Amino acid sequence: MSKLLRPWRDHSFQLLALALAIAAFALSAVIFLRAELEQRFSVSTAEALGGDLVLAGSRTPEPQQLAKIASLRVSQIIDFSSVLVHNDALLLVSARAVDANYPLFGQIQLANDRFADEYSQNKGPAPGRVWVADQVIDRLNIAVGATLTVGSKALEISAIIRQLPDQNAGFYSMNPRIVLNSVDLAATGVMGPGTRIRQQSVVAGEPEAIQQLALNLDTSLRPDQKLETVADAALRSLGPLRQLSLWANLAVLLISLLCGAAIYLATAQRVRRRAKLAGLLRSFGASRYQVIAQLLGWEFLAILPAVTVGSALGIALINLTLGTGGSLPGPSMISASALEWSSALFAPLLLWLAFALPRLSALVRVPAIEILRQRQQSSVLGTNIELLAALSAPVLLAGLLTASLGELGRVLGLIAALGVLLPALLWPLIKSLDLASARLPLAARLAIRRLSRRPALTLPLLVSLTLAITVLTLAGQTGSQLLADWRTRLPSQAPNHFVLNLFGQDMPALEQWLEQHEAIAQPLYPVVRGRLSTINGVPVKEAVTKEKKSAQRHLNRDLVLTEASTLPSSNRINSGRWHGADLRASALEQPAQLSGNTALQRVSVEQEIADRLGLQLGDQLQFVTSRGLLSATITSLREVDWNSFEPNFYFIFASGELAAQDVTWITSFWLPEGDGARLAELLSELPHITLLDVKSLLDKAQGIIAQASQASALLGALLMFSALLVLAAGLLGGQQQRGRDNALLRALGGKQFLIKRILWIEFLCLSGSAALGATAISLLALYPLNERLFQQGLSLSAWQALPLALACIVTICGLLASRKALQQPALSLLRSNED
Amino acid sequence: MNSSPMPAAPPPPSAQRASPLLEVSAIAKHVQGPEGELTLLKDINFTLSGAESLAITGPSGSGKTTLLGLLAGLDTPSRGEIRLDGKTFSSLSEDQRASARGATCAFVFQEFHLVADMNVLENVMLPLELAGREKPAASAKDWLERVGLSHRMRHFPSTLSGGEQQRVALARAFAVQPRLLFADEPTGSLDHANGKRIIDLLFELNQHSAAALVLVTHDPQLASRCQHHLELHEGTIINSSFADAKAVTASPVEKAIPHE
Ligand SMILES: Nc1ncnc2c1ncn2[C@@H]1O[C@H](COP(=O)(O)OP(=O)(O)OP(=O)(O)O)[C@@H](O)[C@H]1O
Ligand SMILES: [Mg+2]
Repeated sequence: MSKLLRPWRDHSFQLLALALAIAAFALSAVIFLRAELEQRFSVSTAEALGGDLVLAGSRTPEPQQLAKIASLRVSQIIDFSSVLVHNDALLLVSARAVDANYPLFGQIQLANDRFADEYSQNKGPAPGRVWVADQVIDRLNIAVGATLTVGSKALEISAIIRQLPDQNAGFYSMNPRIVLNSVDLAATGVMGPGTRIRQQSVVAGEPEAIQQLALNLDTSLRPDQKLETVADAALRSLGPLRQLSLWANLAVLLISLLCGAAIYLATAQRVRRRAKLAGLLRSFGASRYQVIAQLLGWEFLAILPAVTVGSALGIALINLTLGTGGSLPGPSMISASALEWSSALFAPLLLWLAFALPRLSALVRVPAIEILRQRQQSSVLGTNIELLAALSAPVLLAGLLTASLGELGRVLGLIAALGVLLPALLWPLIKSLDLASARLPLAARLAIRRLSRRPALTLPLLVSLTLAITVLTLAGQTGSQLLADWRTRLPSQAPNHFVLNLFGQDMPALEQWLEQHEAIAQPLYPVVRGRLSTINGVPVKEAVTKEKKSAQRHLNRDLVLTEASTLPSSNRINSGRWHGADLRASALEQPAQLSGNTALQRVSVEQEIADRLGLQLGDQLQFVTSRGLLSATITSLREVDWNSFEPNFYFIFASGELAAQDVTWITSFWLPEGDGARLAELLSELPHITLLDVKSLLDKAQGIIAQASQASALLGALLMFSALLVLAAGLLGGQQQRGRDNALLRALGGKQFLIKRILWIEFLCLSGSAALGATAISLLALYPLNERLFQQGLSLSAWQALPLALACIVTICGLLASRKALQQPALSLLRSNED
Repeated sequence: MNSSPMPAAPPPPSAQRASPLLEVSAIAKHVQGPEGELTLLKDINFTLSGAESLAITGPSGSGKTTLLGLLAGLDTPSRGEIRLDGKTFSSLSEDQRASARGATCAFVFQEFHLVADMNVLENVMLPLELAGREKPAASAKDWLERVGLSHRMRHFPSTLSGGEQQRVALARAFAVQPRLLFADEPTGSLDHANGKRIIDLLFELNQHSAAALVLVTHDPQLASRCQHHLELHEGTIINSSFADAKAVTASPVEKAIPHE
C-alpha cells in the first residue's frame, strides 16, 4: 500500500497524475456524451421515421416481403384520406389505422380535452375508439366521448391527439389527423378498390439486422414501394448536433494533447529524480526485471486511481446533466456499450503509454555507473523514439474519439502543422529578441535571456500556450456565433403557435386577439392549394418516370403554394435567381393576373422536391387550382432549413402572382405562457382556422442550446486548465535551476524586487507572445472558417480580447507556481542541494 | 600573450591594521531541529581589517559553512553582532543586506554556481550590472583576460571544464573589486592540479586587488597561506590566530568546565 502512495510525494508525479485525471475526465465525458447524443439522435430519427426501417407502398407488401420482416418487430400502418360527417358538418381528414404494435418508438402525446394538459401513451387506440386532432374537435364542434362516424363505422372519440411520434413536421399535409385501430378498418368500408392508401410496414431491430433486411428488400421492391432506413434519414438532417459533437471532439483531442504534453514534461522531471534510484538498484545487482517491476510497475499501479477517478467523474457528469437530472427527456441512466466503457477507460491509459512510458522506460536502461556521475542528464525533449511514441498518440486518440479519422483528420493535420511551424517561426523571433535585449534594462535582459536560452523548455510551453489560446479564441468566437445563430433562430419568443386556414376577413379579429393577449405575430404568408398537372406540357403521370415513383405522393395531394417578395431567412438559393431580385417584378409591368392563365409566372422550387420530380431550372409547371390553371417557369431552386421554426414552402411564386387565386393565410405567433382558454376564445371567434401548438418542440430545441453552451464553457475551462498544466510541468522541470539562479542573484547583491521583476517580465513575455501569436493565427484562421461555417459575415468582437485575458491568467499562474523558486535563500548556494 | 602586468591596484592597502572591515562579536547560531534546539555555532569573536586574509578550518560538520554564511550576511546569527564596514548586519533588512553585500563582497563557491543560460562574459558582467557599475562589459572582458579565458567569452558554462568554470567564478568575484571575498572550499570540486592553479590565481588576484579574504578549507597547507587562521570544532573556535579572540585561550581543560 505504501508503495502505491510513495510516488504521490513527488511533485512531478502529482502533476502527471493530475494531467492524466483531467484527460480521463474530458475523454470519458466526451465519449459518453457522444454515445448519448448518437443514441438520442438515432432514437429521435427513428421516432420521426416511425421505426428503424420503413417499407412504404400503395398496397400491402408482397407475402415474401412480409415473411422477410416477420422475424423483427413490425407495425403495420395504413394512411388514407377520409371525410368525416358529423351532424351537418363535413371534414376531410388524414386517417391512420394502426395495429397493436404502434408506435414502435416514442410516445403519443394525448389530451382528454381540447385545452387539457397532455399525457403520454405508448399504444394506439383500442378497437372501437378513435383519436382525433384538435382541429377535428374545433371544426366539427364535438367533444371527447362523442361518437364519430368514419365511413360506415361509428367510433367513440377517446382522446385528442397532440402529437404522434412520427408526425411529419411542416405543412405538407394540412388535413387534421385521426387515428383508429386497424381492426376497425374493414368495418368502415372505406377501403374500396379505388381508394388511395399509403401502407407502411415499420420495422425495429438491431442495426446489422436492419442493414441486412434493407439489402434483402431492395431487390424485391415494387414500383410503388419505397424503402427508408434510419441511416438514410439521419444523414439528411444531422444539423447543429453534428457541429456540436465535432467541436466537442476537437476540444477533447486538444485537451488530451495538452495533458499529454504536461505528462511528457512532468515525466522528464520524474525520470531525473528516479535515475539515481535506478542506478542504485543496478549497482546493488538488481535484474532488469526487478528494475521494471520496481520503477515501472508501481508507477503504473499508482497512476490507476487518478485515471479511475477522472473517468468516473466524467461519466458521472454526463449522467448527471443528461441523465435523470437533465432537462432533456431521456433515459435515466446512460446506456453505453462495452466499447464505450472500455474506450473511456483505455483512452487516458493510452496517454500514459504514449507520453510517459517510453520516457520512464529509459530508467530500465540506466547503467549502474550513473550513480557515480553527477551530471544533469536527460534532455527535456527526449529521444526520437520517445517523441515518435508521443506523436502517434493523437492519431490513435482521434480514431477512438470519432471512429472515422476523416472527420478530424484535417483539423489534426492543421494542429500538427502548427506544432511544427510554430517553433520554426517563433524561434528566430525569440533569438532576435535576445539580441535586441542588449539595450534593455537589466531585469528585462535577464528575463528574456531565461526564455531565449532554454529553447527546450520555452518552445513547448510557447507552442502549447499559443495553441490553447488560439483554439479557445476561435472556439469562443465561432461557438458563440453558432449559438447566437441558433438563438436567433430560436429566440425566447420564437413563435409557439401556427395558424392555418385564415381568410382575409379574419385578419381584424386575429389582430385584435393577438393584441389582447400580448402575442407577437410573425409575417403572414398567402397560401393557395393546387395540384401539379403538367411539367413542360407533359402530364405529370407521364413526365415523372418510373424511378421517380416515390414522388407520386407529392402529385396525388394538394400542394401548398405561396408567394413572397423576399427570400425567407431560412432559405438559400442553390441555382437560378430569386425572383425578388428580378426587374420584371417591377410594378410598371403589366399585372400578372390580367394576362390570364397562360401567362408565365415565376416560381422558386425547393431543391429536394425538385430532385424527386426531376425538375430543373427553366421547366414550366402547370398547377390546377380552384380557379383553374396556373402556369409558371422555375426561376430558382432553393434549399430550405427544415429545422427552422418558420413556415417553409416547396413552391414560392413571385410577389403578386397569386393574387387572382383563392388565398388563405398562414401565420405564426408567440403567445406568453398562460391558460388554454385564450386559445378557445380565438377558436370560437374564428372556428374554421387551424391552430397548431409547437411549444413542446420549441422547448426541446431550446434545451439543447442551453446545454450546448454549458458544455462548451466546460470544455473551454478544461482546455485552458490543461494548458496551465503544461506550464506547471515546464516550470517544475526548471524549478531547481530557477531557484539556484535566484539565490545567486541574491548572493551577488540583487534585491528581491529585481528578482520579482525578472519573473514578471519573463512570464509577461511568454504569455504575451503566446497571446500575440494566438491573435494572429485566429485572425488568419477566421477568414476561411468564416467562409465555411457561416454564410453571413463573422464580425470581430470582444472575443479578440480573449488572448490577452488568458495571457494575464497564464502570467498569474506562472508567478504563483514560481513562488517557491522566488523564496530560495541565498544560503542554499553554500550547500550542495540535490533537493 | 595576455599575461599583462597586473593593473595598478586601486587604493593601496594600508599596511597597518586601520579601520576594521569585519567585526564579529560573540555570535552564536541555533536552529530548531526535530529533536529540539541545535547549537551550530557559539562564542565566535574576531576582527578582520582590510586586505587581511583568514582561513577557517575544521572537521566536517564543525560549522565552517554556517559561519561563512553568517559573515556574508546570507543568514543572521541567533545571538551576537556582525559589523561589515561599521554597519551592523543583523539590523539590516534582507534587501539592505543584499545591497551591502553587492557593494562590498564577492563569492567563490565550491560548486562554481555560474548561471547556466548566460555565457561566460554575461556571467562575469552580472554582478557589475547588479551593482550598476559603468561599462560592465569592458571590465568583465578585462578580468576574463586576467584569468586567461578571454577566448571563451561567448561559451556557455556547461561547455567549460570545472577548473575553467571556477576561473570564470574568480573573474566574476574580482570584477566588482570587492573589499571582502568569501570562498567556501573553492577547490572542493576540482582535482589537485586544477585546485592548485585556482588557489594560486586566487591569491595572486587577491594580492593585487587588496581585498580581504575569508577562505573555508580542509587543506592545512592552503590555510597556512592566509594571515589569520580559525579552527572550528563542533561550533566553537578551538584555535585562533587573532589576538583578541577570547576563545583562543580556550584549552580543552577549560572547555570541560561548564560555562553556565
Ligand atoms: N539548517 C540546519 N538545520 C539543522 N542542522 C544544520 C543546519 N545547517 C547546518 N546544520 C548542521 O550544522 C553543522 C555544521 O554544518 P556546516 O555545513 O557548517 O559544516 P561544515 O563545517 O561546512 O562541514 P563540511 O566540511 O562537511 O562542509 C552540521 O552538523 C549540519 O548538519
Ligand atoms: Mg561546508
